[in-house]
Amino acid sequence: MGTIKAWNFLKGYVIIKVEGLTLERFLNLAATNDIYLWDINRIDYTILEMKATIEGFRALKEIVNKVGCRVEIAEKKGLPFIIYKLRYRKMLGVGFILFFAIIILLSSIIWDIEINGNEKVKDEDILLLLEEEKIKNGIIKYKIDKDYIERLLLNEFDVLSFASVEIKGTKLIIELKERDLPPENIDEDIPVNIVASKKGIIEKVIARDGRPRVRKGDVVEKGDVLISGIFSDEYSENRILVHAEGEVFARTLYSYKVEEPIIKTIKEETGRVFERKELKIGKRGIQFIKGDIPFEDYIESTEEMKILNMNIDLPFKLLIHKYKEVETREIKQDIELIKNSNHIKAVEELNKQLPSDVEIISKDVKHYVRNNTVTTYVVIEVIEDIGVKHPIDN
Amino acid sequence: MDNRIENLKYSISEALELPKDIVMDLPKIVMVGNIQLNISNHKGIIEYNQDTLRVNSSIGVIKITGSNLKLKTILSEEIVVNGFIDGIEIIS
Repeated sequence: MGTIKAWNFLKGYVIIKVEGLTLERFLNLAATNDIYLWDINRIDYTILEMKATIEGFRALKEIVNKVGCRVEIAEKKGLPFIIYKLRYRKMLGVGFILFFAIIILLSSIIWDIEINGNEKVKDEDILLLLEEEKIKNGIIKYKIDKDYIERLLLNEFDVLSFASVEIKGTKLIIELKERDLPPENIDEDIPVNIVASKKGIIEKVIARDGRPRVRKGDVVEKGDVLISGIFSDEYSENRILVHAEGEVFARTLYSYKVEEPIIKTIKEETGRVFERKELKIGKRGIQFIKGDIPFEDYIESTEEMKILNMNIDLPFKLLIHKYKEVETREIKQDIELIKNSNHIKAVEELNKQLPSDVEIISKDVKHYVRNNTVTTYVVIEVIEDIGVKHPIDN
Repeated sequence: MDNRIENLKYSISEALELPKDIVMDLPKIVMVGNIQLNISNHKGIIEYNQDTLRVNSSIGVIKITGSNLKLKTILSEEIVVNGFIDGIEIIS
């Protein structure tokens, strides 16, 4: 039924009033002449109201003459009449077309460039590179050659192993994957020393090439030469430079400190919330203030109201500032418990720092309780390879 | 004579399971609750106002009574009536 209505609207129809005495004859003649009439209603003894198509209305004239009744148009409906009216309101039509033109124009412009997945390469560098290729905010999205950008990025940054460029609405999304760079490979031809990458006590030196400079028990600082790639003779000026190779294991320390107050003030939400709305246009904001915040202590949180639940970056945002009332309370914590939790926290933190292939020798945990804080030091001693190749500069 | 032909038509439509409204040129009246009524194979409107509708057909005059009756469509073979229908009477 809806489709018929829509069709009638598109084709246009008229609501007509037919006045006469033999209206049934009028209807029968219309039916036999295949004139489509619908929604016929008798509004008075001598008046019928009905709807007819535009062609139908023209064809009715013959019947009207035959039957001898009067027809008048009560209303014209449908698209043809709207268009007809629009002829006299040109500016409205122009505005209508302009409206769609602007929407199409604005939606074919890149408004935002999003870069995901990069850690080593900075966003700014990528944006700069893109800008050189005239890819920046405000360009027409159909002009963008995605394959070209992908190739450009991969060529420019060696770290990248994968790049994909996608246009979503008005957003240019660049998805990157970086490869894990192996530790800088130095060519075997270049003479190198092996130096200490950190402070430690030497445990074992395995020199496959080059001359070891340190022995077990030596304390080395960062940067000290461990295996030298220089063979020099006391009697001659000649020096032989080699590519030193080998492992130097040393004891190194990793420490972490955690502090935790014994008496802790915690903030507890009372459940009372005060809201304030803000309309943000660009960088400017208009706050709708209704009175001051009625709480003494509160936590502020800001939420963005999503318009129509779509993920579009609009130039304006509706923000809701929520002020949650809090009560501060002081809690005295159990010292033993703090010690335990500090310990766990410190070890977790240290595990993140430790390189993967190390041997842990010892762990030392110390707690100090001093004016209202428990300080925990955790020191882990490990044996690891601290040798790093470093080219010899002549 | 006429009756015999009618009987024959009836038997044929019965035997072949053909719809009788087509074979015997009978009107077909379909009601949807008491708010809509379709009459197909009619022979013209005799009277129409908001309370009564009289339609001519091969079996006589079909009189529909009700209130607020409106003719949804009129085609040469079908009439659709909307409104609150009280009764149908067939006057032959």
